[in-house]
Amino acid sequence: MYNMRKRSEESCICGEGILNVMPGYIYGNCGRMQMNIIVLMKQVPEIEKVRFDPEKGRLDRSSAGATTNPFDLNALEAAVQIKEKVGGIVTAISMGPMKAEEMLRDALARGADKAILLSDERFAGADTLATAYTLAAAIRKLGAFDLVICGEKTVDGDTAQVGPEVAEFLNIPHAAYVEEILNVSENNIVVKARMERSHYIMRLTLPALITVTKDVNTPRLPTLRDKIRAMRAPITIWRYEDLEEVADPRYFGFDGSPTRVIKVYTPSAEKRLGKMISGSPEEVAREIVHVLIKNKIL
Amino acid sequence: MSPKIPNAVIDDLRGIVGDKWVIVQRELMESYLKDETPDIIRPKPAEDLILVKPSSTEEVSLILKIANEKRIPVFPVGGRTGLVGGAVPTEPGIIISLERMNKIEVDLENMMAIAEAGATLGDLIKVAENAGLFFPPHPGDEGAQIGGLIATNAGGARAIKYGVMRNYIKGLEVVLPTGDVLSLGGRILKNNVGYDLIQLIIGSEGTLCVITKAVIKLFPKSKYMVTLVVPFNTRSEALRSVPAILRSGVIPLAIEYVQINEILEAARHLNEKWPVHKGFAQLIIILDGMSQEEVLAACEEISRICESNNALDVMLAETPEEQNRILKIRSNIYTALKPNMIDILDVTVPPSCLEKLMDEVDAIGSRYGVYLPAYGHAGDGNLHVHIMKEGIKSMEMVKKIKGEIYEMAVRLGGTITGEHGIGKIRLGDLSMVLSEKHIEILRGIKRVFDPNNILNPRHPL
Amino acid sequence: MLNECGVLVFAEQENGRIHGVVYELLGKGRELADRLKKSLCAILLGYNLWDEAKELIYYGADKVYLIDHPSLKDFDIVRYKHNIVKIVDEVKPDIFLIGATRIGRSLAPRVAAALKTGLTADCVDLDLDEEGNLIQIRPAFSGNIMAQIKTRTKPQMATVRYRIMKPLNRDPSRRGEIVVREPILLEKTGIEILDKIEIGGVNISEADVIVAAGRGLKSPEDFKILEELATLLGGVLGSSRPLVDAGWIGREHQVGFSGNVVKPKVYMAFGISGAPQHLFGMRDSDIIIAINKDPSAPIISVSDYYVIGDLYEIIHPLINEIKKVKGLVK
Repeated sequence: MYNMRKRSEESCICGEGILNVMPGYIYGNCGRMQMNIIVLMKQVPEIEKVRFDPEKGRLDRSSAGATTNPFDLNALEAAVQIKEKVGGIVTAISMGPMKAEEMLRDALARGADKAILLSDERFAGADTLATAYTLAAAIRKLGAFDLVICGEKTVDGDTAQVGPEVAEFLNIPHAAYVEEILNVSENNIVVKARMERSHYIMRLTLPALITVTKDVNTPRLPTLRDKIRAMRAPITIWRYEDLEEVADPRYFGFDGSPTRVIKVYTPSAEKRLGKMISGSPEEVAREIVHVLIKNKIL
Repeated sequence: MSPKIPNAVIDDLRGIVGDKWVIVQRELMESYLKDETPDIIRPKPAEDLILVKPSSTEEVSLILKIANEKRIPVFPVGGRTGLVGGAVPTEPGIIISLERMNKIEVDLENMMAIAEAGATLGDLIKVAENAGLFFPPHPGDEGAQIGGLIATNAGGARAIKYGVMRNYIKGLEVVLPTGDVLSLGGRILKNNVGYDLIQLIIGSEGTLCVITKAVIKLFPKSKYMVTLVVPFNTRSEALRSVPAILRSGVIPLAIEYVQINEILEAARHLNEKWPVHKGFAQLIIILDGMSQEEVLAACEEISRICESNNALDVMLAETPEEQNRILKIRSNIYTALKPNMIDILDVTVPPSCLEKLMDEVDAIGSRYGVYLPAYGHAGDGNLHVHIMKEGIKSMEMVKKIKGEIYEMAVRLGGTITGEHGIGKIRLGDLSMVLSEKHIEILRGIKRVFDPNNILNPRHPL
Repeated sequence: MLNECGVLVFAEQENGRIHGVVYELLGKGRELADRLKKSLCAILLGYNLWDEAKELIYYGADKVYLIDHPSLKDFDIVRYKHNIVKIVDEVKPDIFLIGATRIGRSLAPRVAAALKTGLTADCVDLDLDEEGNLIQIRPAFSGNIMAQIKTRTKPQMATVRYRIMKPLNRDPSRRGEIVVREPILLEKTGIEILDKIEIGGVNISEADVIVAAGRGLKSPEDFKILEELATLLGGVLGSSRPLVDAGWIGREHQVGFSGNVVKPKVYMAFGISGAPQHLFGMRDSDIIIAINKDPSAPIISVSDYYVIGDLYEIIHPLINEIKKVKGLVK
């Protein structure tokens, strides 16, 4: 039913999601395939420098700088490699405060062709569902696309949920934990994805979404020249009003988020027990086994 | 000196630190008998050693008092990451490990860390970071301990802008071989009362006293830091860029020179990928500053200089992750090469002579038919030359190669070791750089501190 | 038994084998359902799984919704989603729990988005408030803080970390109902699984259990016995640097500054003194168990449990004891 050859607006049968999808490939003048690739990115705080203030019950990000979610650099690199191989356009999309412009400029320096930032106070406070909904709306607004690539997760949220949720909202198949992209052709992509104890080799009909692990590639460094050129590049900003027309704004932001953080606290200080186990070898063995059972290893 | 430590002394030591912290079984002290010096040239540890792990300055003092009375050699050890056998106990005696003395406090107001000698470099970096401060030098292995870093005046990659260990130490607490405790300097930046014993002790390699505590200068954390990787086709093009960068007014934290084979080998060793595969010679340049704008402007200046020397590209690592990966791979060239290595030299010449030195090293290598992989802290003129096992027919040959490299370094106005120190494997080469009179003064100093020559005894110092 | 479904558990299986996390979810789910005074249901998708469905009852489920069909043999996420959404629409559970495995963490968001409900990832504890709403507890910011999360929509969905909850004891006398439902048949889903390749080899940075050795090991052959232990615990071998440098074991096993930084649930250090370079690589492990002859070894002071003794005296009794617990020997 995914017939890429028909530029059909027929939605796929993989869900009754809220958005119709138009497959996006077009042929360029040179006769090469022109892939429309979208990369979803997030600016995150430098995670190891975020402190928690137990008295105020709040995170203190003041000493933490902002950086690109590392997995998203793998996603971007994967997109740029596909573009270099088969031709096409890479569009980086992020949702966040205006400061995230600097991250998108960095994406442009690393090979993205276009960058869009979804930034509006009314998008703020979104959980994964609202985030995915808003990102999917932006992709919808963008029009035709072939492939969406995300990092496997963000280091701050650590949920790995937004990618698959976006796929569902777009009614397209997805593969998570992709460690290798084996082949890309005009109507499908073949990937190697890591599940529990197996690798799955999967062929996904385009348009599709994949989330990639760090094993998929090593992101290249941008050249200083590209970096400086990108510093001055314009970033498209989409606000609430821009997405209203393609989605139901009740699902945006904090108000559209079904989950609520009700409390944060520091886990009881991690002090090593320093407990000595002694006795005959058999007694020691039993005691260790007891520890393993208590910690659910056995 | 009696070769074996009397049982009464062992009992005394147990009385001082507790039974648990006196180790007499050889198999339990194996890792304290060596450092990171390549196996072939590392001195052999003596038999009849005991290992003691004191928990306080008072305990260190009591141990030294007994050792001094009984004339028993004492070997203070830190993280055992040295490369010249300095911490290897080569005579029967007592090894003192300060690993239990590992507390660090930060004095935020004065931007100083007060660290016990057994705290590790990794701990110090972390504690500084948590306080919003920064400890700039990065002498390789983060398992190195503060006491050892000071005793060896460690250097490392990020020395251009802020200097080596010597530039950071504002106060010391030390225990003399007689057991006397000296407190020197403090949380002050200027101190001009007579001979500077702190500076004398820094780099004394455990021969004058046991360092137990230090006051270490920290710096405000820079707001923005980047690492550039600049590939060139030739060494000459890369090295010619270095003095020009230093003259331009931009002061990087580090300028490192590597060649493609060694850096790729180090990446393979760590199962990582080196981000830049172009060119034969690469410069790794670390810059910091108050803002992205300021630092990128400095990068552009560097870029202009490198490009005028035919740089193939100027690549920019900006995320902490990418920068850490580059530093980690660079820091592990030594570990990657070590299994096939005989010796690592760290000759230092005036920065402008580095190219000449490297070319001469190549010439020496081809004369002997061996490959001498080299890389180094280009901004400091400090070169690491490795003598590998391949092609080496005898230790005599190693000695000759080494001798020629040393001679060349000295002829260029340099010295035989820039940061690794003398330890126990470079003693024989001292006369190449120090006059008879100079050595005589050093001996005199040693006698004043350690009249019975019990502390890390070595000859001729 | 009350008819309303309080808790639904997704019974993940691969190659017809139920994943261990499912039994843990049934254990926790049983407790929550009892407190809600509602039933505990499971949903099982796959082919030829009648016996497995019974197992779910033995471990606490009141009702198992079974969709047994060849098309569900392999994990095609789109097929699974359609079938799961249909069952959820039918049973309308208050709470829907899925294991935080890779399969679970790929599937759950897809289902949550289809149901337009909230989902909390990787929970380590679950509780109920006075109104019977689910309180989901998960670590955030690399485990530096814990967050409590509630969901305003139903079902309240959560993925739950493996090896945290306690399963009930298997009780073959438990009674429950297996409800067979017809599959939604889809001709094409956009996903074709071309091949499945079992993963061998080491992935030390992801291992839950690491059995590591240091200089206390006398010969490279002795890694075999440690490997037996590691395999019994579903873990992998680790090593300190000297043994790697000596060529006793591959570098992929090395833990430390110049090797891998690891964070397993349990790190067992056999004959490792704990040089700073090694501690750097494993100090964030959840539980550290050290076996060393030397009471002054630095590893002892960072361990949760330590044994002062010869690893060779302890390893065999330990392996025996584990085999006993696993029912491999009497």
